[in-house]
Amino acid sequence: MDDILQIFFQECDEQLQELERGLSALSDGESEHETVNAVFRAVHSIKGGAASFGLDNLVRFSHVFENSLDGLRSGRFAPTHDVVKTFLKAMDVLSDLVNEARGGAAVDPTRVAESHAELAAINRTGGDHDGTASAATTEDVIPVDFSPVPIDFEPVTADFEPIPFDFDFGEEKPAPAAAALRVTFHPHDALYERGDDARNILIGLADIARECGGEIQTSCDWSALPPLADLVPDKSYLTWHIVLPPEVSEESTNAVFDWVSEDCDFSIVRESTEDEIPPEQDGGQAEPAETEAAAAPPPEEERAAEPPAPEPALPPPVEALFPMPVAAALDLPPGSTATPPPVTGAAQAAARKPEQASIRVDLHRIDDLMDLVGELVIAQAAIESLSRRTDAAGQHELVQSISSMQSLTRDIQDAVMAVRAQPVRAVFQRMQRVVREACSMTGKDIVLTLEGEDTEVDRTLVEKLTDPLTHMLRNAVDHGIESTEARIAAGKPAEGHIVLSAEHRSGRILITIKDDGAGINRQRVFETAVKRGIIPPNAVLSDDEINNLIFMPGFSTAATVSNLSGRGVGMDVVKQAIQSLGGRITISSTPGKGTTFGFSLPLTLAILDGMLIVAGGSTMVIPISSIIETMIVKQSDIYALPDGSNVISIRGDCMPLIPLATALKLSDAPPRDSLDASIILVVENESGARAALIVDEIRDQTQVVIKSIESNYRQIFGVSAATILGDGSVSLILDVSALVASAIGHIDSKPSNTRPELAA
Amino acid sequence: MTEQIELKRATDPKIVKMIVFAIGVQEYCIPILSVREIRGFEKTTTLPFAPPYVCGAINLRGIILTVIDLAIYLNVPPQPDNPRRVAVIVESKDGVVCGLLVDRVIDMADIDLKDVQAVSEEGSCLAGLVLVDDRMIGILRLDTVVGQLVGDTVSE
Repeated sequence: MDDILQIFFQECDEQLQELERGLSALSDGESEHETVNAVFRAVHSIKGGAASFGLDNLVRFSHVFENSLDGLRSGRFAPTHDVVKTFLKAMDVLSDLVNEARGGAAVDPTRVAESHAELAAINRTGGDHDGTASAATTEDVIPVDFSPVPIDFEPVTADFEPIPFDFDFGEEKPAPAAAALRVTFHPHDALYERGDDARNILIGLADIARECGGEIQTSCDWSALPPLADLVPDKSYLTWHIVLPPEVSEESTNAVFDWVSEDCDFSIVRESTEDEIPPEQDGGQAEPAETEAAAAPPPEEERAAEPPAPEPALPPPVEALFPMPVAAALDLPPGSTATPPPVTGAAQAAARKPEQASIRVDLHRIDDLMDLVGELVIAQAAIESLSRRTDAAGQHELVQSISSMQSLTRDIQDAVMAVRAQPVRAVFQRMQRVVREACSMTGKDIVLTLEGEDTEVDRTLVEKLTDPLTHMLRNAVDHGIESTEARIAAGKPAEGHIVLSAEHRSGRILITIKDDGAGINRQRVFETAVKRGIIPPNAVLSDDEINNLIFMPGFSTAATVSNLSGRGVGMDVVKQAIQSLGGRITISSTPGKGTTFGFSLPLTLAILDGMLIVAGGSTMVIPISSIIETMIVKQSDIYALPDGSNVISIRGDCMPLIPLATALKLSDAPPRDSLDASIILVVENESGARAALIVDEIRDQTQVVIKSIESNYRQIFGVSAATILGDGSVSLILDVSALVASAIGHIDSKPSNTRPELAA
Repeated sequence: MTEQIELKRATDPKIVKMIVFAIGVQEYCIPILSVREIRGFEKTTTLPFAPPYVCGAINLRGIILTVIDLAIYLNVPPQPDNPRRVAVIVESKDGVVCGLLVDRVIDMADIDLKDVQAVSEEGSCLAGLVLVDDRMIGILRLDTVVGQLVGDTVSE
């Protein structure tokens, strides 16, 4: 069962992606029937799946969502900006609910209720738009009609017409139009003594209502409650009033009470909406007063005053109405609907998806792999038989077979990579939501455009990209794009624009985040960096170096620390995350025009092109990507520094000279007296700082498989990982940026290229 | 009858099967269940900044692990030019795998934990001493030895 559930969640993820894609298409003005259908199907599939697993919360919400989408599908209203926005919000809630069902953080019920209400409002106003407040429309309203404030239906009874509601009043719903079924239910103490619970009845009623495509409205009458001091904990004081949709038959309602009829008072009355104002019924003496009291305060206050939905299993429908939450919570007898209040607030922050442990792969990719493995088996057999032959021709063939085996191996490697490859779409679409939420927090209006979502990268990379991208986009929203007023003042369109794109470029993937904001204020960045002691006040920095200062730990120009950013950690973390993926970050910024960040990442984290070198008797690997050139030095280019280290001048550029063997403490022998004719590799780190490594020998250039060394050992300075060479021996992969950074630290603490006095 | 004794030994929680090996002239033992395999000593790859007792890294079927020279670690003069040097591949409770370079593996012994004389020293790599056939054998505390390899479990 768990397996199937996992598959369901995977499908949910896919459907949510589909949903997001469709909704983005809609918001781009594309209103083709097929798009709308795709969106509808996605929600419908989630609902269907959730129902078969009994995930009630999910079913309920997706049902409402689906209903509203149906309005769109049947053309009752057009996908306007606001409508799509509401749908997007509902989608966020839906994906959180999926996550909750998967065991993630609980979703704040008020958020769900809010989105519910908005969806309902759309459906309603949609009905108004086409001017036919027909019975069909009313019917459509009913299913979504399970407001947390169920007694607020006076406006409708007054003139019985759908009223265009303000969004502030999203909590309010029109009452069912046809004759609703009113159930009054008072459990006796015996009900609880038997181990039953009033909530079971309420759930039962909700279920029959749902079967008829509707929802129930519940209110709780606690007028019989004595003061706390006199309260007997195991006595039953509460009475519920439940309004069922008109489609529900009396018989099915009666059936719900079959097992408890002796232990409770209940009445089932079908009544018309005209006398909707609660009549005096058994135990309902104080009700009118309550109704007024509850209806009097504005909805916001009312919502705040209410405890969060007391029944996590059914938050919106079964909502007891408590004007005084504290007292109510205390007064509730045990066994009533007072289950622990659901977690609120933190839910949003914890809305991260658990990592997926399985992937879906196109069948043809697996077939390709299978074919290749078949060939490999044949090639291996050929080599085996050839190796038994001793004649010269056999030797020749053997060499040929081995070389074909080589290309096969590479093909298999590619095929496996293709299996692991995933489009970046999954991450990119999550970013839409990040931007949406950041926008609503900052009150800015920003459109995120995605480009190249189909670019495929290794799946480990896809997962690790989420955090850095989230940081970058939040930053772009918070700091990059100016406020609407500032934008208008600068003559730009009020709506900000961020482009997130991915592309393949020469064996790497390039991800760019481009905003059309104010650009980096270099003067301010420089001043802040000086103020925070990151750079000395007299530092001479190029534009690019100033831009890079924003990645320094502890750097933040934001005057205030907001929810989104400003603590000065984000960019530093981004840089570290990208570097740990073997990537580099570039920034280009034009004041007034915007900023572009570029992440250049390797396609895979598993294989690396490296140069095999020997130093201090060990064979080591240096990533090709960080090597600029190799050369043999002349003594005349080397300058000794007082502290014993050397710098070398290569075509006018000065850089520290690092004897690799001694830098890694591999050999005890002192460095050679004369460095003349040593072999050096000029290497560069991410920020462009260079250093020259002295090695004993350059051996080969090869692809190596990266193996972790830290799983069984500590982290070693200057070593990023290890690999296994053709002869089975272990070889270390050097961490060039750490080596360069430490060498530069030795010579000059300022960033590179800013040492005019040294270069002279 | 012997079977019964065997059974009793096997089920008695106080009795632990240990593998006994020699380093120089001294003998040590570790629980056999922590041993993954024993392999001949091969050339290791020197690791930079490694403590002196770390010989280097070897490749165990695609997993890279470090080898500790127990002679240096325990400050025992090793037997020179010993062809029987082997690496005992062990796995600690934390799942860290490493090789212990020993001069030779002697045999296995059932050690009754009642007979172990504790070494009072706290944090020592030696858990206790035990007499087997009139030989004094030290019981290595594996997690301490292996834990020192992983930087964050020990402060240097």
